[in-house]
Amino acid sequence: MKQSPQEKNLEAMLRSTKLVVGGFMGTDARHPFEVVEQDTAELERLGLRREQVARRMQELTERAKPRLGNWVEAQAGKLRVKSEDFKGVLTCPWPHPGVFEKRITTAERLDTGQKLSWTDLNIHMIESHGFFEGRGAFFRIEPGEAVQILFEGLTLSQK
Amino acid sequence: MAAFIVTILIISSISAALAALLVLCEKYVVNYGPCKITVNGEKELNIQGGKPLLTVLRDEKIFIPSACGGRGTCGVCKVKVLDGAGPVLATETPFLTKEEQADNVRLSCQVKVRNDIAIEIPDELFNVRQYESVCAGIEELTYDMKRFSFELKNPPSIKFVAGQYVQLFCPKYKGSNEEVYRAYSIASDPNANNRVDLIIRRVPNGICTTWCFDHLKEGDPVKMNGPYGDFRLSQSDAPMIFIAGGSGMAPFVSILHYMQNTHNNRKVKYFFGGNTPKDLCLDSQMKEFEESLEGFEFVPVVANPPEGENWTGETGLVTEAVQRQFKDLSGHEGYLCGSPGMIDASIKVFTALGMPEEKIYYDKFA
Repeated sequence: MKQSPQEKNLEAMLRSTKLVVGGFMGTDARHPFEVVEQDTAELERLGLRREQVARRMQELTERAKPRLGNWVEAQAGKLRVKSEDFKGVLTCPWPHPGVFEKRITTAERLDTGQKLSWTDLNIHMIESHGFFEGRGAFFRIEPGEAVQILFEGLTLSQK
Repeated sequence: MAAFIVTILIISSISAALAALLVLCEKYVVNYGPCKITVNGEKELNIQGGKPLLTVLRDEKIFIPSACGGRGTCGVCKVKVLDGAGPVLATETPFLTKEEQADNVRLSCQVKVRNDIAIEIPDELFNVRQYESVCAGIEELTYDMKRFSFELKNPPSIKFVAGQYVQLFCPKYKGSNEEVYRAYSIASDPNANNRVDLIIRRVPNGICTTWCFDHLKEGDPVKMNGPYGDFRLSQSDAPMIFIAGGSGMAPFVSILHYMQNTHNNRKVKYFFGGNTPKDLCLDSQMKEFEESLEGFEFVPVVANPPEGENWTGETGLVTEAVQRQFKDLSGHEGYLCGSPGMIDASIKVFTALGMPEEKIYYDKFA
């Protein structure tokens, strides 16, 4: 596939370790646009759009933030979340303004023990760029896993 | 159709080649000649043009704080450029507020010195030095926090005010091909000026903390520069409340050493918060401070004491503990170090209890 110079720069930035250890693509050999396409398709298969995933992640982050790193119940008896702030900021690798506090939110299903962690930058990249990061990246989010952990037990209107 | 695609490809290739040529010419061919940088209307630096302002100043031993090493990704290296910098670049705007832009604030890594320019920087930056040191000790404080001690070699001593920070140089290592600087508060005694202690909490996937925790060993050479920052004790004798969580402990250790050295017996209540007792640390050092400082009291606060564990101290969030212990803080000063969330919550509590905002000093993680 022929890439424009801008696309080449973006891929180089996503694969570089300039902004995060190991880069945003991890060990994934696929082109970033392929990653976006395949994750979008997987989400569609599961009946959701990336905006819904981002919105749910944001909602859970907001729920957890006031408890300053402590668990808070997000879905009675089913899901709990916590949000921790760390030193530093995370910068969006896309060429536009985007600097985010280094906040890591973790959601845990109380029935299965499954956990999912994300940063505020993850929410932005999913919502604005459809990018869940490459396989092997530290904060790679598997769409199927996200749906299972974040949406299990919600009605259609709650999604 | 094929001809159309070929034409687009040719035009794209030519554009890319021209852009690359421009970059190469800018780097290796164009000579901007000698330029003059006037600093604070007094000092004049005669330099060769063509390099970013941040680099030029560093070559002249003026260290502007910068976390990303000049790649325009952290937005830390702000400097007021009064004249000669040209228009604000698109790479700078994400990091500059409208007020800053109106006030001629620029990112020094993005401003290329092509002609004479005039800048304004805080006077204290003239005291910042680059230090070569050796890692002399690594002490585990909690499951995710360590205290690193560095023995200074060149220059062999540092003069800093308790509460200030240094920028630690993080070299390339497996998994990170970038050299970066990260800011950490000094946690050592200002009188023990031949060493610098830093308390660092591991940041999941953080470039510098991964290096510190997984690669740095005792005996390794380490570079840092500093001191920076204006977080420090006021000169008043008002009673104080300190609040910290995690590695926010660092500046307060240094401040307590300073109080000990100067026989300062101001009243201080220090609330240190953790989620569980495992997040607490330096208990014995705090006890020593309590013994030597008449007005000092350490209050560890645990949000979630595990069942069965005999925790008899304060519980809940640090802010809740402050609210339980104080009803009126109008005569107090507040000192905070930690995450933005904790600082914002603490400021709310302080002001609700009557503490004037100008009496609240903080060092927000950024």
